[in-house]
Amino acid sequence: MVDSYLGIFGLLSDAGPVVLFVLSVLLSFSIVSWAIIAYKFTYVRKSLSESRAFLDFFFEIYNVDKAFVESEKYRKGSLPRVFRSGYVEYHAFSDKVDIRQLRVRIARAVKREANAESKRLSSLVPFLATVGNTAPFIGLFGTVWGIMTSFHNIGKAQSASLAAVAPGISEALIATAAGLAAAIPAVMAYNYFTHQIGIIERDLDEFSPEFVAAFINEP
Amino acid sequence: MEKGQKRTDAEKKFSLWLVSAALIHAFVIFLAIYLQILDANRIVKPKIVSVSIVSLPGSGGSSELSQKGGMEAASAPSTEVSHPAGSSKSVTVKEVPPVTPKKEPKPVKVKEHVPEAAPVPPKKVAVEPLPVKAKPKAVDKPADISKALERLKQTVDKKTASTPPTSASSLNNAFARLQQKVKSEGGPASTGSGSGKGSSSGGRSGAGKGYGGEGQSAPYQAEIASIIMQNWEFSKLLLKNSYGMEVYVRINILANGTINKIVFDKKAPSEYLNNSVKKALEKSSPLPALPKQEGTGDVWIGFVFTPEGIEK
Repeated sequence: MVDSYLGIFGLLSDAGPVVLFVLSVLLSFSIVSWAIIAYKFTYVRKSLSESRAFLDFFFEIYNVDKAFVESEKYRKGSLPRVFRSGYVEYHAFSDKVDIRQLRVRIARAVKREANAESKRLSSLVPFLATVGNTAPFIGLFGTVWGIMTSFHNIGKAQSASLAAVAPGISEALIATAAGLAAAIPAVMAYNYFTHQIGIIERDLDEFSPEFVAAFINEP
Repeated sequence: MEKGQKRTDAEKKFSLWLVSAALIHAFVIFLAIYLQILDANRIVKPKIVSVSIVSLPGSGGSSELSQKGGMEAASAPSTEVSHPAGSSKSVTVKEVPPVTPKKEPKPVKVKEHVPEAAPVPPKKVAVEPLPVKAKPKAVDKPADISKALERLKQTVDKKTASTPPTSASSLNNAFARLQQKVKSEGGPASTGSGSGKGSSSGGRSGAGKGYGGEGQSAPYQAEIASIIMQNWEFSKLLLKNSYGMEVYVRINILANGTINKIVFDKKAPSEYLNNSVKKALEKSSPLPALPKQEGTGDVWIGFVFTPEGIEK
């Protein structure tokens, strides 16, 4: 009676341990991937918007000292961070080394920070790809296992009626549905993030030499 | 130091999102379960009322006038004839869907009114057209009644020999009442003719047929119920809602056990349940032949199908 009230969820009470394990794995995948989606969405969005705002200001002023002061407002943007690292290097060695060495040092510092930023942006994103690729197969595994068990029980019951076959298959198919429910948002988010991160990385590659040139031409 | 601080901030933020994602998942799952329960509790009202349920064979007198005039006044002889054929057992009547047994006792009560109605001419105005056709049948009636009485006596004798004294006394009472009725019927020719017509045209129970499983012995009904149950392919898991899932069905069984008619007195909101019942009954035909003591006529037997099984 309770089963009929709970519908699909009622079927889970009769599910085997393997199907339940598969469902719990998929549920945890889904929880983690949604947490990553939410975390990365805010991170990437903020980084992109602050980078754009800083770039606008930088090309408007073209003064490294003022740009550095302004960059303190954009602590989460990728480009302001790279700029700040270059500025720190420039300030530390501008009086100690010649201009050629200074250029090399600043370029190295900017590149290092750009790499670190790139890694920071793309961290956790591969997990979305993993969920998108593997969740349907994990769900399929649960379904296959559930159907196997169901057919085994049908054989024991020696009945091939719809009443005997349908509940087992219905219960097994929940695993595939759960796998797809975990995979679809993960794949969509992965595609979105790779595109957004690609835009930021292109900006980093493009504007890093600009920053170096700005420091050298400053005096 | 600063990097370490940043990392812990990021980790904190991520763990916050992780907890909120888990909470959202839990909320979505509970919402889905709640909606399922809500959907299951919703009462499904059938939009279409099947006319075939109403227009049952034997229930031709749909209007109140015909039921009161034609059936009540006239069904007395039919009950007299059907009782001997069905060995006058009231046990099986209880097993019939609740609609039918209530209507069975009616003719007996009304019959007592018939002699009262006879001397008052104005009350019989509605029934007057009937006797014209029924006159020939009234001529044969005494012979039928005497035969029926003889058969009744035989069956009552058999029963009294086998059954305990309580049932024997009730049978004797019933027999005495029947005799009184027959005597009162035999008097005025007009009343006799009126009742004869009623039984043939509008009576719910056909003459010589035990309606609603009347006269059927319990073992036979139990046997066919188990056969139908075996042929019934149904899973209550496939029903969204088991509320009001009852199918009142009665079947007309010929002497050789063939199911002649399947009549749904009440259908369930689920077509799956209705169809499964119909298929089970069709699959069960032919049933075992009727027991010899039931005579050569056909019988009506009713069942109530629920998702839990057949209720008797």
